[in-house]
Amino acid sequence: MVTSTNSHPRRQRRRQFLQSAAGAAGGLGTVLALRQAPALAQTRELTFLTVASFVPDTDKELKRQFEEWGKQNKVKVRLDIIAHLQLQTKKAAEVQAKSGHDLTALGPGLGDAALYYDYLVDLADLAGDVGPKNGGWLRPDDYLIRGKWTLLPWWQPPFPMAIRTDILKKLDETPPDTWEDWLRVGKKAKAIGHPFGTAMGHSGDANTTLLSILWSYGGSYVAKDGQTVTINSPETREAMEFVKRLYTEAMDPEVLAWDDASNNRCLNAGKCFAIHNPISAYESAKKDQVVVPGTKQPIAEVIDHVNTPRGPKGRYATTGFWCVGIWNFSKNVDAAKDFLRFHFQPDNQARWVEAGHGFNMPFLNNLTNHPVYKSDPQYRNIPDVAKVTVPPSWPGPTTAASQQVCDLYIIPDMFAQYATGRMTLDQAIAWGEKEISAIYSKRRG
Amino acid sequence: MSDAPLNSAIALSRTRTDRARRWRTIRPLLTVYLPVLPFVAFALFPLYFMLVTSLKSNAELYDVGSVPFWISRGMTLSHYGLLSADTPFWDWFANSLIVSLSATVISVVLGVLAAYPLARMRFPGSDSFGVAVFITYLVPPTLLFLPLTSVVNWLGLSDSLWALVVTYPTFLVPFCTWLLMGYFRTVPKEIEECAMLDGCNRFQSMFRILLPAAVPGLICAALFAFTLSWNEFLYALVFVSPAELKTMTVGVFSELIRGDIYYWGALMAGAVIGSIPIVIAYVFFLDYYVSGLTSGAIK
Repeated sequence: MVTSTNSHPRRQRRRQFLQSAAGAAGGLGTVLALRQAPALAQTRELTFLTVASFVPDTDKELKRQFEEWGKQNKVKVRLDIIAHLQLQTKKAAEVQAKSGHDLTALGPGLGDAALYYDYLVDLADLAGDVGPKNGGWLRPDDYLIRGKWTLLPWWQPPFPMAIRTDILKKLDETPPDTWEDWLRVGKKAKAIGHPFGTAMGHSGDANTTLLSILWSYGGSYVAKDGQTVTINSPETREAMEFVKRLYTEAMDPEVLAWDDASNNRCLNAGKCFAIHNPISAYESAKKDQVVVPGTKQPIAEVIDHVNTPRGPKGRYATTGFWCVGIWNFSKNVDAAKDFLRFHFQPDNQARWVEAGHGFNMPFLNNLTNHPVYKSDPQYRNIPDVAKVTVPPSWPGPTTAASQQVCDLYIIPDMFAQYATGRMTLDQAIAWGEKEISAIYSKRRG
Repeated sequence: MSDAPLNSAIALSRTRTDRARRWRTIRPLLTVYLPVLPFVAFALFPLYFMLVTSLKSNAELYDVGSVPFWISRGMTLSHYGLLSADTPFWDWFANSLIVSLSATVISVVLGVLAAYPLARMRFPGSDSFGVAVFITYLVPPTLLFLPLTSVVNWLGLSDSLWALVVTYPTFLVPFCTWLLMGYFRTVPKEIEECAMLDGCNRFQSMFRILLPAAVPGLICAALFAFTLSWNEFLYALVFVSPAELKTMTVGVFSELIRGDIYYWGALMAGAVIGSIPIVIAYVFFLDYYVSGLTSGAIK
């Protein structure tokens, strides 16, 4: 487990609190009157707020680099790690107070930078330095918010298809490649008690997989201009018809209530035949030494990862685009930039990717060829998935509106309403169009 | 004359007595314990489920075929071990304790000082003040945390336990005041008036007469305040960032939910340990708590 890093021992800080409490003797009034922190709030330090990585070693390596940079530059550093679900609240509070950490993780979409555009430092100089040293950015145009580098794209967990090879063998099949193929094999797997699993409720995974299907069938919800809502199209209808068949013929209704952890559990419990997910399920199966039910065989040994499926119009995927930014109310902008420059040095990036077992793939060309992706056959397709991974707003630019479409789970709701029969195809699409249009007409930019 | 009718009457009477005795034994079972049983089971189920889950192995937790309500593959303390060894759990626990106790003391003291005049003294607007205090309690923290962030920052208290000690009373003081107002009104005015005739001033009559008579109300307010502080999540998340200063509610959530992996066993172990202080407090003070609540309710 990872804890916050701080050069002050935790017990000492608590003792300081207790001493302050005793010494103040009703010191609350004193504190209020003096408007001064009893502890070390006045000491200058560089602070970084980030989210807990699924692979704890990633956080340890980041902490190591942060401390090393701090030592080199004689700056006190503090890395605070919170669950990703807590990040929105924390950011909102820091922006409201115009105070808090210097560096902050942004995500899980690029849209965070659009929402907080007015509070983020322009990082064009940094992006210009970092890109060339690492073989260039994967899709640099995708990362610009209103034409500016208000963030540095940091890492993504690519979404391959995790599949049970023993079940595939039992079905006498080879790994499917197209969405239609997945449906065909999924039907057979469900018939023997191993349904296909992808979330269709309010979760990040539901957005990811359903957008991947929508694009693979040629659909999208916004045009390249970032204004025209394009959800009402024959391609969307085709994608929705496919998902209805996938839901009714190859999946269990429980997927409607799934959160981001549910598909991992379904695969590792030995129930699901395949899930559309990063390598986290496999890694946790290895760590927890989970076995195939009724046997002593580790389930990790019969999990494989294959490329994200292709549809009639191509192969597309998206994922959580985790980024890093610097608040413009930070008093340490230059130091923060300097640390990012240090962290994005090729060797530091390489060590950090290694620590994360490749789960945290940077948006930098050279890092997609990191040796870790060849160290385990499980990871062989991850770089290919990264190459077809686009932001959730694709083909439109990332805007506050596109972020809101994801945050409100309009796409999963639209698909689920038709798949479950609550609405007809026309009604579901009309509902989705109305919701998305309302968001885009309210938010400009 | 034969003794037969008498004997049979005695036998009949004995049978009736036995039946009545049996009924007296059984009646509470049927009329009290049995009807209450579903409610007790309902109330205790989350605790039971937490405990059972915290003692299961990961393999059993993953198994969708296993019955979730009991342990079928042997108990393990590994989740408690992970919590203790791999996270600063006991620091979070201590932080929660320090913050909750400090906030409770402050809130009950302020609550007493606010409730006394509102319950005892007649002055223009006293009723409106009482209602205003209650309405303040109803404002949800989700609305308050953004402006409060600015206040905490302005005071220079961010990222310290002081931030919580100062902000928790914002929702605890209105509650304590409201509860104590109700309780103080149940204590007859006359005994205070007697004390004043004997030479006590307002403060003396409050401290020497009213407060000793209002101990159940004070304990009830303190218990409620402690429970609310102990369980608080949002302010603890927003105002304190360093891991070593987090409270238990936030720390457990931050460290044991990593992306799409939930450490269910350790999460439940944290919840079980976190419940213990509350359970102990309520076990010791339950009578005061009930009395404090009900006395205030009827006036």
